Amino acid sequence: MKMKKQRKLPTPDNIIGNFAGRPVRVILVVLSMILILFPLYWLLTSSFKVKAEYLANPPVLFPSSLTLDSYESVFGKDQLFNNFLNTMIVAAVSTIISVLLGSMAAYSVARGKIGKRARKYFGLWFMIQKMYPAIATAIPVYLVMRTLHLIDTRTALIIMNTSFNLPLVIWLMMGFFEQLPYELEESAMLDGCGFTKRFFYIIFPITKPGIIASGILAFIGAWNEFLFAVILSVNKSKTLPVVIAGFITDRGLEWGPMAVTAVITLVPVLLIVWAAQKNFVQGLAMGAVKG
Amino acid sequence: MMKKNKGKNPAPVMHKSKGDKFASWMFLTPTMIFLGITALLPLLYSLYLSFFRLKLNLPNAVPEFVGLQNYIKMFSDPALLTSTKNTLFFAVISVALELAIGMLLAMALCSDKMWARICTSIFLIPMIMAPVAVGTLWRMMLDSTTGIINYLLGFLGVPSITWLSSPKTAMLAVILVNVWQLVPWVTIICAAGLKALPGDCLEAATVDGATNGQIFRKIVLPMMSPVLTVVVMLRFVDAFKVFDTVYVMTNGGPGSATEMLPNYIYKQGLKFFDAGYSASLAIIFVVVMTLVTMGFLKLRDRMEENI
Repeated sequence: MKMKKQRKLPTPDNIIGNFAGRPVRVILVVLSMILILFPLYWLLTSSFKVKAEYLANPPVLFPSSLTLDSYESVFGKDQLFNNFLNTMIVAAVSTIISVLLGSMAAYSVARGKIGKRARKYFGLWFMIQKMYPAIATAIPVYLVMRTLHLIDTRTALIIMNTSFNLPLVIWLMMGFFEQLPYELEESAMLDGCGFTKRFFYIIFPITKPGIIASGILAFIGAWNEFLFAVILSVNKSKTLPVVIAGFITDRGLEWGPMAVTAVITLVPVLLIVWAAQKNFVQGLAMGAVKG
Repeated sequence: MMKKNKGKNPAPVMHKSKGDKFASWMFLTPTMIFLGITALLPLLYSLYLSFFRLKLNLPNAVPEFVGLQNYIKMFSDPALLTSTKNTLFFAVISVALELAIGMLLAMALCSDKMWARICTSIFLIPMIMAPVAVGTLWRMMLDSTTGIINYLLGFLGVPSITWLSSPKTAMLAVILVNVWQLVPWVTIICAAGLKALPGDCLEAATVDGATNGQIFRKIVLPMMSPVLTVVVMLRFVDAFKVFDTVYVMTNGGPGSATEMLPNYIYKQGLKFFDAGYSASLAIIFVVVMTLVTMGFLKLRDRMEENI
């Protein structure tokens, strides 16, 4: 990241990109596109196939007719709308909480006056928190939620998703805050602007790309979260990933409706990510390049 | 992460104000409380449970203290050994493949032109898909009778393969699915790293007549090494936590061919209802992961110093 600040020179495009000659580059790109797009083509067409075709042997590469049968059957029963709403509410609420609290914590660790040692230990804590396996707390969380009668509620899922997303947001936002020039805060300080005001009126608005990136990452994480969704939900609070997994465990091979649910799960996040692609990619890179 | 701040710390300029100190801690407090309750306490509870025997399926069961028995049990648990080996095998192979393919594609995609941006948009799809959806999609495609993969392989003269129901191919399938989902992630991160390389360095090398191979080995690879280390760390740790895809594709089967640690811990706790043993496994798992993470961080710091 440091390098970015140096003067902009011609991108190393041609030197690196054509490392093995142009034809190899073209082949690599085309091949990777096919390998990525074909399964997605298969998913999409399966969702529009009639039952005889999605269960056909040999499989039908180009469906003879497209139908909304699977979509109707999925939306008709199974409370799919409720599942969608669960996923949306859980993802949205946990994202808002974790972005707000997480960026505050990140700012405090990156620029706050908490002392060198506290800075180091908090950094380490959030880092380890981000790494540790969710399964480690699955059973205690299940027991506690059972005692609190929170099993099968959205609240339980919101709490747990926020817990996973906080370290992620903190980690990412710390990278963004550390890049800010100190002069910015100094001048605000000279104007008598306190820590809290500085954060909300100056820092928060200018780190918007970081906020968007970490918000999207948190949203996707919560949207796709499966382990706790499956442990903590029985029926009412089932999210879309749990429904998808259910197609395999409960109902045998209903590929059509399964594909429909997967498409419905994918489309909203895909639209969000494409809409903010630049910020999202920057955020992804930040997490690893900066770390 | 923290080190970088040392050089440019503005402490002499900023005046020490009590208000700022108080506000800083106030900013941290909600997160500390939240993570304390939802992450640290459950972890401590896990530690506590690991010394007890508790059957989850009996609602009013009282934990019974058994000392280190759960930990001792691990040494004589062949299934644990199998799933540890599987997890290691899975993690090493898939991360190696992802890194190699991802880096290769990142170099091919290293461009700011329109086509590269469109390719990036497409690369984003697999990695934002729910792992559960990716697993089921591939399960559908790998189905031995109605699956498209066997059909396409048939044109190449490959006889029908029962991908998910024979032990060897099941592991291969799980690895390939993970590679499909995460190569794009590695590609995008590496491409960002490549774009941040100083262009003048590369140009000077070309002017001096360095071959592409030399540029790659002497410039690109060393300068990318901190990024690559972080990529390997994040992927490796993540591969160890693999749960969703395995759960929907094979659920550890056939037999225990694709049984991984998270799935094993999950089964011990929520299928065989042995909360104590499951908790002790989880604790060991966390300790190992923490050590691995810290090892990687040390490694990265050393690499950055070498540049």
